[in-house]
Amino acid sequence: MYAELNSILNTCPDRVTQGEFILVSDRRSDASFLLHHFLSLYLRARCRVCFVALVQSFSHYSCISQRLGLSLTQAREKGQLTFLEGLTESLSVLLPPETDAGSGAMDFLRDPAVGLRSLYEFVRSSVSRADGAGEDWGPPVLLVDDLSVLLSLGVSVGAVLDFSHYCRAAVCSQLKGNAVMLTRCDGEEEADEGDDEGPERLLKGLTHQCSLALHVQGLPTGFCRDIHGQLEVCWRRRRRDEPHTHRKLFQYKVNDKGASFFARGTSSAVL
Amino acid sequence: MLTDLLQSTDGGVFLIIQDSASCCGRDLLKSFISYALHRDEAVHVLGFEVSEDEMKDGLKGSQIQRLRFHNAHTDPLGWNDEKTFTVQQFSLEALRHLVEQTSHPKPAALVIDSLSWILRHHSPSIVCRTLDQLRKGGTVRAVIGLLHADMHQRGTVGSVCHLATSVITVAPGMKGDEAVAKMTKRSKSGKVVQDVSSDSLSIILFFSAVKKVYFLYPQEEIFSIRDDLTVITQSRPSPPGLRPTEPAEQEMDPTAKLTFNLRLSGAEREAKEKLSLPFVFSKEKKTALLHSVPGSGKILYEPDANDDFDDEDPDDDLDV
Repeated sequence: MYAELNSILNTCPDRVTQGEFILVSDRRSDASFLLHHFLSLYLRARCRVCFVALVQSFSHYSCISQRLGLSLTQAREKGQLTFLEGLTESLSVLLPPETDAGSGAMDFLRDPAVGLRSLYEFVRSSVSRADGAGEDWGPPVLLVDDLSVLLSLGVSVGAVLDFSHYCRAAVCSQLKGNAVMLTRCDGEEEADEGDDEGPERLLKGLTHQCSLALHVQGLPTGFCRDIHGQLEVCWRRRRRDEPHTHRKLFQYKVNDKGASFFARGTSSAVL
Repeated sequence: MLTDLLQSTDGGVFLIIQDSASCCGRDLLKSFISYALHRDEAVHVLGFEVSEDEMKDGLKGSQIQRLRFHNAHTDPLGWNDEKTFTVQQFSLEALRHLVEQTSHPKPAALVIDSLSWILRHHSPSIVCRTLDQLRKGGTVRAVIGLLHADMHQRGTVGSVCHLATSVITVAPGMKGDEAVAKMTKRSKSGKVVQDVSSDSLSIILFFSAVKKVYFLYPQEEIFSIRDDLTVITQSRPSPPGLRPTEPAEQEMDPTAKLTFNLRLSGAEREAKEKLSLPFVFSKEKKTALLHSVPGSGKILYEPDANDDFDDEDPDDDLDV
């Protein structure tokens, strides 16, 4: 986890806010470094984490988490982390199963028009599982990487928004946990009519649902070796006892073992 | 005008709050609920998008008794088989049944959060018909709906807003906690009324067949919402050309925390302005160069036969 991002968002492993739906998005950039931050933050905060990873394998996240000082393998063995590896599970849908079929979470691949109810039921059973013999973990957390790939798999925008709504209702409202979801866009931001079924409409829909939005973009002036992009933090829900700031803009640089965040124009390479 | 809409007790009202991803209209929706509860009205909320706790957050203790929250948030599609309101149940009879569950002397207000959720699962024509029948039926005094305008086609938004008696479009304001509300109010009157305010448009449409006059006037106001959900409005914003594109944040003074001094005192600033720059060709320098100093050599020129004198010398008008 990145200490500067914790201070920007005013959280730390001892004091995570609850009931938050955090949307991480990017436009022609890669915001997955933020997902690693939230994964390590919530594992350190002793929350029970359910990670739906649709684009990368378990070993990818495990390698990066090791550099941040965490062992995902250990967390999974202890029962703190439930990991859905979408890539391998999808094989059981596409190829004839030799043994008993998997969790059924990726069944939407057979018929994407049906929607994501089976995936939601997998999420619900993972977060509300009561560990009898296990340790006493904190509130549940759901991480999804990423939602926009579902559009490429044939799922409609409405079905993805229904899925994210149900996850938010179950995890954030009922169980008072947190949800972090990543979505990606690859086009320019246009003031279009909202009738396209693409990632732009999904991003707008998720922005309406979320309580905190982190948007990552490249620098508008082009490539820079010392500044990898800009991060816009947008608080959508009124926070008690804190000055009400809607949005703030930062720049960041991703290192080998973390990322540093700073106000615009104050990169260490410039000052 | 925003305050008038908040405090209005007219019947047959259909108010739509349009918001977008850049500015959330739910706080204004909660302000409308708060003002209605203050007037001892019963308020029914059909909540799809947020939970009951989040909707009631900020509303004061005793008034919450009159707020009836119909939970359509936890299971709007029936996936969990809970016995809560689903989006498929959205119909005139079901809505009437919801509102008639409480017995209150005055007709209640129905708040729908949000119309966009319903429009995602029902066709716009069904939604428009249901809302129009509900408004005219008399079961509720007012229907207030939140609509995410950037989630639908322009035609859908236009159709739903056409039925509304008032539409408030919220947009981000210049400062962090301010927003701009653009209001359009539609009223029927038998006579032509001219709008006298100088900076709002008034469009008067006259339908001769129906002999009614619809009077539309969009107005803009800046408002902010306090923690107790009261709305503070300010004067109308400046014309769009003067508005900066980014909200003004409190800028940090860049010369504040340096180890060397970048500021100038008054005497230093004067001396700086008096300084003449070396390569600027000012009038004093020009005359010094043109008029030779006594003691320097003089140049005497006698034109030769080969010299070519052109009467129309193009260099004559050079100011050297």
